[in-house]
Amino acid sequence: MTNVSAMAPAVEKIDAPATQSARLGLWLTLPAQLLVLFIALFPILMQVYISLTDWSPLDGIPWWKAHELWIGLLNYADLMADNRFWGALWRTMFVMAICVPVQFLLGLGLAVLFVDDFRGKRVLYSTLLVPMMVVPAVAGYMFFMLFQSGGPVNDLLSFFTSDPVRIAWLSDPDLALIAVMIADIWQWTPLMFLILLAGMISVPQDQQMAAILLGASWWRRFFTIVLPRMKSIIIIALAIRVIEIFKIFDTLFIMTGGGPGVATETISVYIYKVTQQELIWSYVAAIALAILIVLSVVSVFAIKRMQRGQKP
Amino acid sequence: MASIRFENVSKSYGDLRAVDRVSFEVPDNAFFCFFGPPLSGKSTILKLILGLETPDSGEIFFDDRPMRNVGPSDRNVAMVFQNLALFPHMSALDNVRFPLVERKIDEATIQARVAEVTEKLHMAHILHKPPAQLSGGERQRVAIARALVRDPVAYLMDDPISALDARLREETRVELRRMQQDMAKTLIYVTHDQEEAMSVSDQMLILEQGRVRQIGAPHDLYDAPNSAYVASMLGAPAMNMADASEAVQVLSHTPRMNRNAKTVGIRPENLKVARKDGPGRVTAIEPLGATTVLSVETAGITWKAALRGQPAHEIGAPVQLSVDAGSLHCFDARGNALPAA
Amino acid sequence: MSEIALENLGKTFGDFTALAEMNLTIANGEFMALLGPSGCGKSTTMNMIAGMLRPSSGAIRFNGRDVVDVPMAKRGVGFVFQNYAIFTHMSVRENLAYGLRAQGTPAAEINKRVQAFAELLQLDTMLDRRAAGLSVNILQRLAIGRSAILEPSIFLLDEPLSNVDAAFRAVMRSELKSLQGEFDQTMVYVTHDQLEAMTMADRIAVMDHGKLLQVGTPLDIYNAPADTFVAKFIGAPGMNILNGRFVENAGVVAVEVPGLGTLDVPPTLQAAAKDKKAPNIQIGFRPEQVNASQSGLTMHVGFVERIGARTIVHLEHSGSTAKAVLPSDATPPLAGSDWTFSASDEAIRLFDPTSGQALKGRAH
Repeated sequence: MTNVSAMAPAVEKIDAPATQSARLGLWLTLPAQLLVLFIALFPILMQVYISLTDWSPLDGIPWWKAHELWIGLLNYADLMADNRFWGALWRTMFVMAICVPVQFLLGLGLAVLFVDDFRGKRVLYSTLLVPMMVVPAVAGYMFFMLFQSGGPVNDLLSFFTSDPVRIAWLSDPDLALIAVMIADIWQWTPLMFLILLAGMISVPQDQQMAAILLGASWWRRFFTIVLPRMKSIIIIALAIRVIEIFKIFDTLFIMTGGGPGVATETISVYIYKVTQQELIWSYVAAIALAILIVLSVVSVFAIKRMQRGQKP
Repeated sequence: MASIRFENVSKSYGDLRAVDRVSFEVPDNAFFCFFGPPLSGKSTILKLILGLETPDSGEIFFDDRPMRNVGPSDRNVAMVFQNLALFPHMSALDNVRFPLVERKIDEATIQARVAEVTEKLHMAHILHKPPAQLSGGERQRVAIARALVRDPVAYLMDDPISALDARLREETRVELRRMQQDMAKTLIYVTHDQEEAMSVSDQMLILEQGRVRQIGAPHDLYDAPNSAYVASMLGAPAMNMADASEAVQVLSHTPRMNRNAKTVGIRPENLKVARKDGPGRVTAIEPLGATTVLSVETAGITWKAALRGQPAHEIGAPVQLSVDAGSLHCFDARGNALPAA
Repeated sequence: MSEIALENLGKTFGDFTALAEMNLTIANGEFMALLGPSGCGKSTTMNMIAGMLRPSSGAIRFNGRDVVDVPMAKRGVGFVFQNYAIFTHMSVRENLAYGLRAQGTPAAEINKRVQAFAELLQLDTMLDRRAAGLSVNILQRLAIGRSAILEPSIFLLDEPLSNVDAAFRAVMRSELKSLQGEFDQTMVYVTHDQLEAMTMADRIAVMDHGKLLQVGTPLDIYNAPADTFVAKFIGAPGMNILNGRFVENAGVVAVEVPGLGTLDVPPTLQAAAKDKKAPNIQIGFRPEQVNASQSGLTMHVGFVERIGARTIVHLEHSGSTAKAVLPSDATPPLAGSDWTFSASDEAIRLFDPTSGQALKGRAH
């Protein structure tokens, strides 16, 4: 391949030769593709299999013999009737419904500020990204300390009131969930900001200039040019955060352990407890599959929207 | 050194006949230009020569050797891409050396080849610079030098100077022509700029929807187009085309023309404009200095006349149009050229 | 309708002077081209007129009123960007209506105006198509229409044809020119292509290195270039400029180009030539005003370019180069031969070799 390969970097005008070599390529890569497919699908298939049995590691039989304990859809029926599961799912949805919009709006606001140049932008920019780099477990301990009844948060509030405030943040069922959400917003707004800023910078400058010259106000420009052109990236950002909220675990577990009671028990915490403490693995498999289906629907929806946004 | 010959070559993509029964021969050491509108098959022909595509039917020969079973790497033709594809992190010299170094040729040979090529292309003074510091024309030369060091039998260029601005294009095309003559190599060239095509090439091949319309020296095609299509592709402003019966009524002292002529064509530089009361009205004047382009309207036809120098004309003024017998092109109903009289 | 006056306009970016001491008045309804190579300051000038850049010094007046402090949204200036900056995520209709909506025009009025403009610009069949993927000439019309619908008194165009194929540029030029006739505004057109400037503009302002070199009608600039830069920049190919020295014979001054021969200085330039003390001079003549002749300059024919209606002869001798453009009915000299040519009295221009300025002639 000396002749053409020397110039290879710019074969743009000359596309891949013929379909027959494409077919050959498929055959050559088939083994590798099957392997990748297997690796991706195996855990899921295993989950499906186990979820249809009553298998637990305590039973003393290897997992591939789990069919001896076949119970059909019984796990799923139990799941439908499991109030603790529904509570955890509802709580997760609630956290998502509050945290994702707040993170989005804060991130968007920050992106608007940072898209223009100002003095000290770089320092502020780096500072803003710090929360994202903190290990979630460490963030959990930080907020665990902050929200102690004798902790800095209460001290700060005491400053504004005559009596010293001694709120038991993490042991009050309602407040604990709020504290957890504040921690999540603190840690993940920067990611939202980063993605949205990248999107905002990529909106062509001349389009905005054109809109200004046509007399459009800042708000009109923002809603008719900037936001529509950021549509794909906004969908990506929201999808990432929605999926991440389902996985919320370390920070929360360290702050409250899912308590008091089940007040902050989200899906991930619930699954952890069922697996580690109650060892009903087949039931866990059923829960995991149910969640996977929910998240797949979210992703497919997001991808569809995005493709529609990109079509001319 | 090689001549390249196509015999009845066809290539389709699905329903699209990209190249349709094309035959031609590129003589050894010629500057040969393919010219046509977008999607007329130019790029497909390049791919067929490079071996990136195989013909559906027909045969391609390099020096009478059929190329059917010869892969792209064994054809030894070089390609210069539209965006040149220079390596930005390397100096001009390293760019030129690259293909030889890649092929693990010994250092003495490399130096000899590079020296020969760079001397012929007069580029010793730019060899130490990275591409970013070179002008458009200089970058062009580096790309060509890189293609040439491998001593290919022919080199192919796909619209290589279209990205340059007008003034630079005028200079670079002359430069290209000179380089081709110095290197004495077959150069196959694709462009969509008719002036550039006529300026550089020994022979031009005009394509329409995958078919060859005419092959010949540029001035032969310009003076004696075999069809209205070829006539309209060359020249700026383009040839005036008018219905023969209408043209007769508009032109004063119409020369004798072929009875079967359906359409007549008159090049703008051959249309004579007299400031006399006549059927024409001047609708626009473009003073270019060396020439003045008049738009003249007669009963529904807009004529363009390219007059030498800066004759005085006024918009709205009546004028008389005429043409010499020798400058009249006649075409039949299907657009094929007819003898003038 | 507006007159634009630039007074001592200047713009610096740090140490770099992008524009210095620009004085130019663009008349009401005039089509003015700002012409020059990249980096000459033409875009800087236009961006200041639009209000995208703030001048470092000087004033910009619209009808006598200084607009330097008027923000760009309020200047009433239509702007067509190099790549047209069409809102590709909207339909053609939404693009056209954008400015009117921003101004809060009632919906019925917007519909009426959009319809009228769409018909004028022949966009009425595609009003509800997405603007992405439209061809360049439609994008150009849309870009112009989108601004024109607000009836700005001033229209600024930033190299709108630079991304268009050579074959299509002539079509676009005439379309643009006819659109100007349609709207009748003051137009400022930035370009590096002298052909575009010559064919479309009423007057041309030639710029280089942040300086305005000459303002005039296309033919003024072609016939009487103010300096060697303008002489070479205008025309395709540009004017030939050769280094020579004055020689005097019986009271008549001529220019000798060393090694090539001598050209007579026309009577109109005799006085100016005699006033000049230094013997060195540059002589200029247009390639298309060159004729084969018995006496004059002799040069080596390097390369003959036959391009349809004309033939460009590339000439070279002892480091000097020149070009001659001959009509297709003339027989061009053979490549490799020596060719003697001269230029008529009206064609000869003289330039000061140090300043590059043209020597002023005196009319008969």
